[in-house]
Amino acid sequence: METSDKNGESAAAPESRFTVSPLTLAADRWMGRLIRFGGVGVVLAVFGMLAFLIFQVFPLFTGAEVTPAPSVSISAQAVAFGEDEYGDLPYVVLADGRVSFQRALDGQKILDWSPVLGARSVTAVKSYPRAGLVFLGLSDGSVQELRIVYRSSFDAAGRRSVEPTVSALDSVAVGKPGLPCLDVWNAKSSQSRLLLVRQAEAGKSLLTAVRLTERKGLGGKAKVTLSTPFVIAAEVTAVSQVLLPSTAESLILVTPSGEVRTYADDGTTFSFLQAFIPFQTAANPTITAAGMIFGNVSVVFASQSGAQQIWSMYPQLQPDGKSLRRWGKIHEGALLAGAGEGIFAAEGNKCYVAVAAGRLQLRNMTTGSLRWEGPAPSGAIRQLSFAGNYDRFTALTSDGRLHRWTVVDHHPESSWGAFFGKIWYEGATGPAYTWQSSAGSDEFEAKYSLVPLFYGTVKGTIYALLFALPIALTAAIYVAQFLRPEYRQVVKPVMEIMASLPSVVLGFLAGLWLAPLVDPRLISLFCAVGILAPAALFAGFLWSALPQPVRRQVKPGMEFLFLLPFLVLCVWLAWQAGPLVEAAFFTVKDTASGLPIADFREWWRQTTGATYDSRNSLVVGFVMGFAVIPIVFTIAEDALSNVPNSLISGSLALGASRWQTVWSVVVPTAISGIVSGVMIGFGRAIGETMIVVMATGNTAVMEANPFSGMRTLSANIAVELPEAAAGHTHYRALFLGACCLFLLTFVINTFAEILRQRLRERYKVV
Amino acid sequence: MPNASDSSTPRGEAWVWFTGLGLIIGLGMVIGLLSLVILNGVTVFWAPSVPVAQVDDGRTIIGQLAQRRVRAGSPADQPRYELQYQVGLRELNGNSYLWVDEAKIKSEAFPADVLGLERVENGPAFVRPLSLRKSDGLTIAIVDPAFEAAFQSEVAAAASVRAKLIEITRHRIGDVNGEMDEARVALRRAEDLKLTAEITDRRRQIGGLEERFVALQAEAKKVVEGGAVASLVSRDAANREVIVPLTQVIRAWFPNRLDTWGRLKLFTSRVGEFIFDEPREANTEGGLMPAIFGTLVMTVFMSLLVTPFGVITAIYLREYAQQGPVLRIVRISVNNLAGVPSIVFGVFGLGFFVYVLGGSIDQLFFADQLKYNNNTPVFGTGGLLWCSLTLALMTLPVVIVATEEALAAVPRGMREASLATGASKWQTIREILLPASAPGILTGVILAMARGAGEVAPLMLVGVVKLAPTLPFDGTAPFLHLDRKFMHLGFHVYDLGFQSPDSDAARPMVFATTLLLIFLVVCLNLGAITLRNRLRARFKGASF
Repeated sequence: METSDKNGESAAAPESRFTVSPLTLAADRWMGRLIRFGGVGVVLAVFGMLAFLIFQVFPLFTGAEVTPAPSVSISAQAVAFGEDEYGDLPYVVLADGRVSFQRALDGQKILDWSPVLGARSVTAVKSYPRAGLVFLGLSDGSVQELRIVYRSSFDAAGRRSVEPTVSALDSVAVGKPGLPCLDVWNAKSSQSRLLLVRQAEAGKSLLTAVRLTERKGLGGKAKVTLSTPFVIAAEVTAVSQVLLPSTAESLILVTPSGEVRTYADDGTTFSFLQAFIPFQTAANPTITAAGMIFGNVSVVFASQSGAQQIWSMYPQLQPDGKSLRRWGKIHEGALLAGAGEGIFAAEGNKCYVAVAAGRLQLRNMTTGSLRWEGPAPSGAIRQLSFAGNYDRFTALTSDGRLHRWTVVDHHPESSWGAFFGKIWYEGATGPAYTWQSSAGSDEFEAKYSLVPLFYGTVKGTIYALLFALPIALTAAIYVAQFLRPEYRQVVKPVMEIMASLPSVVLGFLAGLWLAPLVDPRLISLFCAVGILAPAALFAGFLWSALPQPVRRQVKPGMEFLFLLPFLVLCVWLAWQAGPLVEAAFFTVKDTASGLPIADFREWWRQTTGATYDSRNSLVVGFVMGFAVIPIVFTIAEDALSNVPNSLISGSLALGASRWQTVWSVVVPTAISGIVSGVMIGFGRAIGETMIVVMATGNTAVMEANPFSGMRTLSANIAVELPEAAAGHTHYRALFLGACCLFLLTFVINTFAEILRQRLRERYKVV
Repeated sequence: MPNASDSSTPRGEAWVWFTGLGLIIGLGMVIGLLSLVILNGVTVFWAPSVPVAQVDDGRTIIGQLAQRRVRAGSPADQPRYELQYQVGLRELNGNSYLWVDEAKIKSEAFPADVLGLERVENGPAFVRPLSLRKSDGLTIAIVDPAFEAAFQSEVAAAASVRAKLIEITRHRIGDVNGEMDEARVALRRAEDLKLTAEITDRRRQIGGLEERFVALQAEAKKVVEGGAVASLVSRDAANREVIVPLTQVIRAWFPNRLDTWGRLKLFTSRVGEFIFDEPREANTEGGLMPAIFGTLVMTVFMSLLVTPFGVITAIYLREYAQQGPVLRIVRISVNNLAGVPSIVFGVFGLGFFVYVLGGSIDQLFFADQLKYNNNTPVFGTGGLLWCSLTLALMTLPVVIVATEEALAAVPRGMREASLATGASKWQTIREILLPASAPGILTGVILAMARGAGEVAPLMLVGVVKLAPTLPFDGTAPFLHLDRKFMHLGFHVYDLGFQSPDSDAARPMVFATTLLLIFLVVCLNLGAITLRNRLRARFKGASF
């Protein structure tokens, strides 16, 4: 064939009738190129599809990209800082309470603001950069609040300029009068605000708080009422760290001995809730750093040896049988390089920066993954704050420098563990495989475990195969080896029609027609299905027992026509007997009326404690049979009918009956083809989408219960992808699911194809 | 086949019967499903007699029997049944459907004066008419022998008024709105770029369009007032007076008076509406024309895309590529692509076609559109083009495999004879191989079309909607609107069956749609099977 290309050149005959027209040659050359180009292009495009899917998923498994920006020297006096939305104009608060604004770009000073304090002096400073609040703890135990407002404006060229203003509010007496504030905290609950100060009295630390309730008056002016100061945790003598959640609903104290004491807001004051020692078993239980994670439910503790522990509030069973939200350890974090020096939480997700032994680590609390690691700046970090959209963080060091890092981390919550491992999520009572991609609140943490979806996929597939395989394989054997050829001409197209039924139609019939229909007559259905196999075998035995002249009346290969009326009769009887069986075995007390009722569904619920859904795995399995049976049937039938006739004739000639021939010669010869058909059927069941979407409740549960639904990978994609925002973790997690489906079916089908080719070679040899 | 010649029974005969069971179940499943769909689909259009039923609690029900089922909680050994009637008159009854305990129905009668009405709004109605109030004040009572003729002619007159109104409100006002949107986008652009001349032009255009809009509205009002229509005065089952203006009536029939011929005529008219009209009442009534049309346009466009690529690839794989292990791997991979779940293609279509390709097309060619039309994407969202491309990719292996098989079936002798006469390779392909394998290729394309027409899962991701305001193919340039979203029969089944708020009302429509979809797909498949069988027969004895 290939040589024909060169016919033109080799035939250098003088006669013109032997020369090929150049047009023909050009057409041949160009079409050859076009076809090669098109063919290779299409083949590449097909492989490109997989590449694209992987490319979409890849960012999920990359860490964060964190780049340090040049640091700005401010003043060694600086103890706290904050910045505007864009980070253009940070401010620092000096130890004496002065607030100084300095441009991030060139270090130019924009504004210097000094508090008017009179005889008092500033003894503590706290800045809340996200809220634009600064609190000055004063030498007389009172607290002054500063509000920092940035007003951005754009000039004609679209350049942004930011103008800061600082306003001081009246100071509020919080702590014990006369004693200097050593630290100050602020938090806001739904009703009031809480100001908390730490003071030292006779070597003993003293925590005092005040509630401020703001009420909007008629004139629009806010009226602030102050509660009387109250002491919190009077029994604690020394405090090394205080964690006050921004919602002010609890308070966590870390003592120098390594004990953590938690308190809960009881409406008036804070009452003691629980005490625990995270590093109790360690040689040195001291907690060197602690930080509250975004969401205010979890705390990260780091020890002297660099060990990390994450504790969270979740419902726990108390000795009295009640379930109450208490603190408990949910994760054991990775070992840090040295003693923990600081834990700083990110905004908007569960990441935090841990400082230890001159290294900064950006970690995710939930998955425990290390997003990034880099060198820490010289000098102890006084404060580290993340920007609201998690695109940068800034740190103030004790040498008066402001360091900044830009963060590119689109998928902080993803890791191999998050998709395939058991994860203990905040608020859950234990580690679990959970898929829950969306919920109402902002602080909700999306859960992307693919394991329940895999489970659902496998469950649906198994139920489908349990139903489909016996039917498809026995039908294939009968059609290939026993059925009369003239019937085969009809049977095969009918089975092919079955393969072409749109799955949306099957799903609709399963969910809206079959499920409600089968629901009340479940036992009848079981009886009818259960009677089929014994009835067919019984008919066969009866038939074989008949004298030969009678049997001669029926041509071989037409048995099924005689079987049909008998089966119909049996099924009808079994269907009618269903209620009797139900009454005999499945009678339970009705919970509402107390009367005994024969209801299998109620019996199942009460006896096993498992759920019963009308759209359940059995319905899915049955309807998926429509999709799987024809595929398995066609491939297995092909394999069986292509078994060389010489083998069959040989076996029959040796005196084997037709069943013996089929069972010991035909089936073993064709077994690889049959297995290949089963595998392709498996692949089809795995990817089936619409049937599962429509015929199950689509809940991502992991239970083998045949009377509950499931959520499969494919149904999950169909339901959620239209709502997922492009490029987000949710979107990519769904792509990951698609990738898994692609690879799974591709591997299974390839294996089946190899099996089939091997079969073909075996036939060749025979 | 073996047949024991001695009198003893051959071993294992019972197992042969057992394998026959598999075949019976398989065939039973196909035949059962097809007859279920056909039965339920066809009865949707059939008008049965409508009973007037007296219930134990004193109620009277006039309605068409819809379903019968076992009552929830009734003992399994003595099931009690309940009946569902379609009573219509949703505006009065709150719900079109009503469940009644079968045991509580005292009597059923089929009076001849029960009238069934299909209405534009609020679904059907079953009433007992009293009189016809004509627009000139004249009333014709039901007892008048002229009633029925007058009634039917008034219904026809009202229908023509309604048609005129629809023409104005939906089509002409719709066109004006479309032009207005375009003009506003253009104006925004002109204002932004400070194109003084265009600003005045566009403003003038918008002014003109607004005038046209007002004029059309006035015209519509005139049609409503001028074409004064009659109304029907009747009583419902609860003896309440129901006055139905005949513009509301699409079809009226006396279900208990009709003979078979009349029922057949009604049946045909309903089937006609189903196929050629647009949907009404949140898709639960009216026709399916946009969905049928959308499915057809998408399938045809898909086959236009998949055929050349599939055939070229198959020719490359069989005639040009060097046979060897690499080609074997490629062939296996292409084969296996047919087994990759369709939803994966949908995911790829959304990620690559819609967001990457569509997004880039928008950036390159529709930047103005994006900027001045609130970032509304043109190609960067699901649409006909992306659906067709996605399905083309999905069905590509079907066409490749079919074409390869067809090429392989062409006897080697034909090829060699052609080359021996001095034909070039391309000439051989064009003149010998392609014509000989055309039925095989066609089989592949038909199979691909059948698969494409019935597939829903990927389309949900790349551009099918439940109600598209415009067809993807219409009279305005460039006629075929590849960027438009469209309706699809399969998605219609999913949406109506599972997303519809009133599932009882949607049920008949879902069954009818299902029937149509299955009919389409089965016809395509039967065509492919017949073609393939002919092809096999043709090459069976062929040898050179």
